[in-house]
Amino acid sequence: MSADEKFDAIIIGAGPAGAACAYVLAREGKSVLMVERGVTAGSKNVTGGRLYTYAMEMVEPGLYKRAPLQRKVVREQIMMLGTKSAVTVDYADFEFGEDVPQSYTVLRAPFDEWFAAEAEAKGAMVATGILVDELLEENGKIVGIKAGEDEMYADVVIAADGVNSLIGQKTGLRSDITPHLVGVGVKEIIELPDDVIAARFNLSGDEGAARLALGCTEGTSGGMFFYTNKGSVSLGIVFNPEQAAKRGKKIQEILQDLKMHPAIAPLIEGGTTAEYGAHLVPEVGLSGMPKKLYRDGLVMVGDAAGFGINTGVIIRGIDLAIVSGLAAANAVIEADGAAAVGPLYEKQLEKLSLMPSMRLFAGWHNILEMPRMFSEYPALANDAMRFMFTVDGKVPARMDKAMLQIVRRHVTFGQLLADGWRGYRAL
Amino acid sequence: MSKILVCYKWVLDEQDIRVNAADASLDSSRAKYKISDYDKNAIEEAVLLQEGQGATVDAVTFGGDAVKQSLKDLLSRGPDKVFYIADPSADKADGYVTAGVIAAAARKTGPYDLIICGEGSADSYNQQVAPRLAANLGLPSITYVQSLKLEGGRVVATRKLGDCTEVVTVEGPAVVSVVPEINKPRIPSLKQVLAAAKKPAEEIKIADLGLSPKQLTAKTVSLTVKGFVMNRKNILFKEPAQADNVAKLVAALAKEGVC
Repeated sequence: MSADEKFDAIIIGAGPAGAACAYVLAREGKSVLMVERGVTAGSKNVTGGRLYTYAMEMVEPGLYKRAPLQRKVVREQIMMLGTKSAVTVDYADFEFGEDVPQSYTVLRAPFDEWFAAEAEAKGAMVATGILVDELLEENGKIVGIKAGEDEMYADVVIAADGVNSLIGQKTGLRSDITPHLVGVGVKEIIELPDDVIAARFNLSGDEGAARLALGCTEGTSGGMFFYTNKGSVSLGIVFNPEQAAKRGKKIQEILQDLKMHPAIAPLIEGGTTAEYGAHLVPEVGLSGMPKKLYRDGLVMVGDAAGFGINTGVIIRGIDLAIVSGLAAANAVIEADGAAAVGPLYEKQLEKLSLMPSMRLFAGWHNILEMPRMFSEYPALANDAMRFMFTVDGKVPARMDKAMLQIVRRHVTFGQLLADGWRGYRAL
Repeated sequence: MSKILVCYKWVLDEQDIRVNAADASLDSSRAKYKISDYDKNAIEEAVLLQEGQGATVDAVTFGGDAVKQSLKDLLSRGPDKVFYIADPSADKADGYVTAGVIAAAARKTGPYDLIICGEGSADSYNQQVAPRLAANLGLPSITYVQSLKLEGGRVVATRKLGDCTEVVTVEGPAVVSVVPEINKPRIPSLKQVLAAAKKPAEEIKIADLGLSPKQLTAKTVSLTVKGFVMNRKNILFKEPAQADNVAKLVAALAKEGVC
């Protein structure tokens, strides 16, 4: 093996986790090869989402300013949909947009391409259009990769190959993906002029809104997301594929019904769908993560490692991916010998608050998996609103009695207690 | 050892260009670039000759600033070195200007035993550059080449002509333009991609080519470029007997003058 064929680190996958890792390693003078199977970094990505800026600041202060970000989010919105009604909570916090804005909406195709180019500019080798077929193993230690006929060696291989990590499966660190571990995300990017987006979402300048909705997946656990970009909005649903299959509802139908909802349709009216895509999303948080995130000579980062937090009101993934990529880079830099990388990576995940956050939210998917969260409770909220705002000239029922009736119409007190207890325990 | 020059164009990927429904104007704001498809065949052919009988392969391209993005992709496909002329004036260049620029560059970087081009570019497909380049350099031109051999100093090419083929032999050097049938361009391997990073890429300034303003002024001026929207006639033939439908279809096509 010549010096040309040996790197300090080989990173598989040029998403945010891989690119952050490559960027930091290259900046610190390590020889890095990042291999991406897409024609360009980002070309395989359909995520419309949001990036919490702190993660970029951890990689390098001010780096986010160069990134092709969309809008800084100052409006956090939660929507509960009824059949022909909607309760929307709009929390506007303009401090979220000050100094270093807290978060930005982001389109991954341009973002990933940019981040990979930044890593390349720091000296990382980026090879796109290359599928890694195998890992090279010697005496139980991962020593490199094989792509086609070509073999490349490295002290450490970093698996950043996404939610359905084939590399993770090959190493035996994670099993093949099972339906209860993931959500299916279906997304459209709908183009609209910026002034129209600003008017419809009550935004000015480069401000943005992020919205999650429940009650839109017809009882299947899942939800809708809505992000405002520059010149477009990302609209999609994430739901449980197992439950959806049982209900016999097609993915496109659920999304189409949602777009026709009278509270949603006016937001996207006149827009043109520029992109359509589907993706798997790690859904269950901590319990969906592999028990071990490393083997001798290999660590797993980002979606491949199962980093994801869904609290029901916010979804985090990209920021966690970036921090995990940074943690892996720090571990490689600190490590004295390849065998030390894995344990140091786990320490870094603690130090950078990633694992503590995952543990804090570990039980949350139990709340989000309660079927009633997606049908009975949104309907209940809408009925309560309808009662309070209905004026038809008749004498309305007494508030307390009416509310009691509404609650009873949707759930029994036993269910309410059970869900409450389950929710409390999940916290 | 033979020295081969392969020419390529960095074009917008037509898949990313969208036609504005209102006025058929083109929106290329989201379009990415790629190496023109036919030029990939030209590159592959040059590399096959290089591998088959030993040759050095230079590549050359003329385009706007975006052309710099092409170098890594190009070099990963096998050429040893690339010369690029990046100038905003390329956006207005026609076959006349492009052939002149490439000929001037080839005089600087040559001489070459063989120059290979794609039959036409994936964007305008005017098929002008290869023959003009030959004329400019005073070399024989062989177009529509579907197979190619170098035998000593001679170039043996099979041309694809409608319903027949023609085998042409010329004393080199020569300029050939190849059709897609000639080969299947490879997908660069990991090692080729990595090797590309170490290969030389040299910029040639358009000002250093000694071309007059007239030689840099396009003879063809494009007034508008618009998307083509086909208005369908929506004629349905619904006779109970399929034979009647066929007869009607043939009659309708004949009436339109398409058969």
